[in-house]
Amino acid sequence: MGMKGKSIAVLAAVAAVAAIAVSASGAATKATPGVTSSSILIGGTFPLTGPASLYKTIPFAEKAYFDYINDTKGGVNGRKITFEINDDGYDPSKTVPLVQQMVEKDNVFAVVGSLGTAPGLATWDYLNKRKVPQVLLATGDSYWGYSGARKYPWTMGWQPVYPGEAKLYGRYIVKNTPNAKIGVLYQNDAFGKNYYAGLRVGLGSKKGNIVDAESYDATNPDVTQQILAMKAKGADTLAIFAIPTQAITAMIVATKIGWNPQVYLGNVSGNRIFMLSAAGKGANVDGVISSNYITSNTAQPNAAGSKLAAQIVAQYAPALQATYNNGDANVMYGLAVGWTFVYALQHAGKNPTRASLMNALHNMNTTNPFIYPGMREQTSFKGKVHDNFPLEQLIMTKWAGGASGDWGTFGSIVNKVR
Amino acid sequence: MIGFSRKTKVTTGASLPVIVGIVVACVFLVVGSVRSDIFAQQTVAGLSQGAIYASLALALVLIYRATEVINFAQGEMAMATTFIAYQFTLWHITFWLAFFLTLVVAFVFGAVVYAVLIRPVQHRSVIALVIITVGLFILIDGLVTWKWGADLKFMQAPFGNHVYRGGGVAFSRQDIGVLAVSILSVILLWVLFQFTKLGLAMRAAALRPAAAALVGVRVDVMLAIGWGLAAVLGAVAGIMTEASQFLQPTMMQPILLYAFAAAVLGGLESPAGAVVGGLAIGVFLNLTGQYVGFATSEVRLPIAFAVLLVVLLFKPTGLFGRKQVRRV
Amino acid sequence: MKTRLVIIGVVAAIIAVLGATMTDYHDGLGARVGIYFVAILGLNILIGYTGQISIGHGAFMAIGGYTTAIMSYYHHTNLIATLPLAFLTAFVCGVLVGIPALRFHGVYLALATFAFAVSVPQLPLKWSKWTGGSNGLRTHTTPSNTWLYGVSWSCAAILFVVAWALLRGRTGRAFRSIRDSEIAAASSGVSLPIYKTLAFGVSAAFAGVAGSLLVLVTNGFAQPNEFGVILSLQILIGAAVAGLGSLWGTLVGALFVGLLPELSSSAPLIGSSHGQDVVFGLIVVLVMILLPNGFAGLLRTIDSRVNSAIKSDTTTS
Repeated sequence: MGMKGKSIAVLAAVAAVAAIAVSASGAATKATPGVTSSSILIGGTFPLTGPASLYKTIPFAEKAYFDYINDTKGGVNGRKITFEINDDGYDPSKTVPLVQQMVEKDNVFAVVGSLGTAPGLATWDYLNKRKVPQVLLATGDSYWGYSGARKYPWTMGWQPVYPGEAKLYGRYIVKNTPNAKIGVLYQNDAFGKNYYAGLRVGLGSKKGNIVDAESYDATNPDVTQQILAMKAKGADTLAIFAIPTQAITAMIVATKIGWNPQVYLGNVSGNRIFMLSAAGKGANVDGVISSNYITSNTAQPNAAGSKLAAQIVAQYAPALQATYNNGDANVMYGLAVGWTFVYALQHAGKNPTRASLMNALHNMNTTNPFIYPGMREQTSFKGKVHDNFPLEQLIMTKWAGGASGDWGTFGSIVNKVR
Repeated sequence: MIGFSRKTKVTTGASLPVIVGIVVACVFLVVGSVRSDIFAQQTVAGLSQGAIYASLALALVLIYRATEVINFAQGEMAMATTFIAYQFTLWHITFWLAFFLTLVVAFVFGAVVYAVLIRPVQHRSVIALVIITVGLFILIDGLVTWKWGADLKFMQAPFGNHVYRGGGVAFSRQDIGVLAVSILSVILLWVLFQFTKLGLAMRAAALRPAAAALVGVRVDVMLAIGWGLAAVLGAVAGIMTEASQFLQPTMMQPILLYAFAAAVLGGLESPAGAVVGGLAIGVFLNLTGQYVGFATSEVRLPIAFAVLLVVLLFKPTGLFGRKQVRRV
Repeated sequence: MKTRLVIIGVVAAIIAVLGATMTDYHDGLGARVGIYFVAILGLNILIGYTGQISIGHGAFMAIGGYTTAIMSYYHHTNLIATLPLAFLTAFVCGVLVGIPALRFHGVYLALATFAFAVSVPQLPLKWSKWTGGSNGLRTHTTPSNTWLYGVSWSCAAILFVVAWALLRGRTGRAFRSIRDSEIAAASSGVSLPIYKTLAFGVSAAFAGVAGSLLVLVTNGFAQPNEFGVILSLQILIGAAVAGLGSLWGTLVGALFVGLLPELSSSAPLIGSSHGQDVVFGLIVVLVMILLPNGFAGLLRTIDSRVNSAIKSDTTTS
């Protein structure tokens, strides 16, 4: 007799859940997912929170560019671009369900611009199996270019690859300070290891000059121990292959413990606003060497890209105005990626399909107003030749001016950065 | 249904072997620092880090002494009050004024949390209290993220960036400031408890609530003040942490974990123990990280917890606690 | 007895029907609910029935999850075959943890298990050569969501029966007597070490299976991040909402932890994932203050109210 109350409650709860589940299930799938006669739905995963959240302005800059195109040109071939920004906190275990949701629930046309090596690696199997474009990834790992072209044809990166950049630093060290004692700080995953491997190749026979290599985990912002260890081993040169949080901390700690190595900074953390933060907390940043491939609105204020960017930010992303004024490279980066996607979409035919999008991305040869003046975006898939790397050029930079300074370029544009 | 009513009483105070041990350790540190630059640098860094653990551990101990609750939300409360300080600076209030305003806000916050959330469930099981503080953890985290966002923010460094050199060792003003603040906090607390009527009333309310009530002590008010003070200490820990990292909602989570280890090491009921424990853990982790090959940065947290487990196994009342008697 | 079986039958039927008719995406969600069900079941055995507080179940889930990933990655073991392996491995680990845990009580046990929960996910980072480090380890094959739904709910059903059988017999009585008073239990001949470590072992074994399934549902990836402190706290909260000391609320607890994030992210006012945390935390706090015995307690209250209403009806008529 006493079971009545319990049974009613349990049945009610289960019935409620069943009702919700059944009503929420079942979305009709379209012929080309994400494409209607007036819109295109794309999406990406980004670290809006978590250890890499210093990159969070990138997707909003991308969206600003799409809004600009939607507004001034009515979209691409009459279709307005809707960009879904998802937060995975730079955590691959969160990226996986978000990507599943984008593909299976929201039916996106393509996954565009997702940030992070580990998040990308966690989802490339799934996306390639379902033939969903995973393109213009915000990570410079060489995998997207090399293995990508063969086993994962739907995946593509964008920026100059990390090993190429690190090789540049290696060769520069051999040429200018051949007897340098080098310490390397790198993230303990595919992203950091990709960079570190490139440095060793660039150093060539001098790779024995690396006296200490210390890794760190992305979720741990404290790199004090690693810096102390490298100073103890007598390093006078420090290569930082880290995301901004740890890169900034590394520079601050180095100064705090009275160490002044020559720093080579992986350009993922070379954004002007990061340098300003580091300097603001006491880091000695003059003389730090890095590289660039994007126009900087503070260092190249008269470039065409800077003027267009200023216009777009003012009108479509006023929330980013303040950080843009400080030379936030994330904004230019986002605009550049947005530009590239629109370019590819314009060349994917009047009725784009996923395959036609990939085809357009694989056969580009163009300038892009937001990348460094003089550089080009080029890919080609002709016959057996697969060049899956849109950007393969860099220019070296050095910081001057302390806590209110900026990057100055030196040398000429380096080609064939791979 | 599941009840663990308190039947144990713990007294605090260091015994002789513990004091001797601490003196020996200090001598060891001084000798090592003199002989090796990197040893000295690691010790300095360890004391600086340890001072932050100590501040938060002090907050944990204060709350535990008053209400026997392990406050899993202590770190988040500290983080939230730090965000409030940040908000004050955004409103162009100068740093040190913002700091003291935040302490006031933190005090009220702590007292309110006690009155609204803890008091109703105080006499329930340990598990219920754990879950409430865990729920509070998640709630605070959500509220802060919702209001300010979870990306990294920068605040002005409290002590400036100047670095002093001595021998081959660098001390930043930051390091010295943080250490000074921690030690000052414990001294102020000691003065409060030992020499003021309020402190006496608070101790009475914690140890013998029934008897205290009989002599006119408003027990609930005393306990709320205890929570308020703990929140103030947490705010201090939070602002010190922000100086060496960035302001983000997850910034106190690792600190909380180390603070647990420090509090247990020192003795859950001993404020002095919390500070000694915090400094000890900071220095210990740095030195093992430097000299023990196995102890890379991934195992830093497990090592701290190994210390916690060893303490719980062999001297559960910690360095500064005395034996506890379990009555049936 | 019969009514209970009828209810269970109806619930099982609904679960089966849902699995067959829902979309792939929702099957994935349903599988996650099943996973939480198993983990909460295990934790309830430990906390609800023997009174030993553990905030460390994420660690046992990690152990089970990595067992599956390692066996599948290196030896291409059949995925279903890895589940009993995970069960056993986690059981052994649970017993090993339970032995020193005998010395801790109350808050100290909570801290010790918390230490365990925090430390274990760091270990794959240390031995990254075999465990894939922070990139994680991938199983050899990745099953579909529908398959996962079926397997996790089958596990849930099987383990529910196991738990029920265990808890109604002598073992269950021994557990309950330990929870109510250890000293009384010991003095009436219940061997504390055996039953307490058994509880730890069984509880951990359940969590191990849940961990294996969790790895499978996240595209076959075993990563340290998945098994952090937050997971342990979620299982604890699920168990509390379910109602400790009774198996009836387990489904509600699992639904709460598994579905609330999803539901509140589509709710208009709350929207972003941060709002979801606020709702989650608020509900947990409210439940603990207002419904101290969780959903199971609520059922009992409704039950007794209905009963007394019926009684007063019959007496007055």
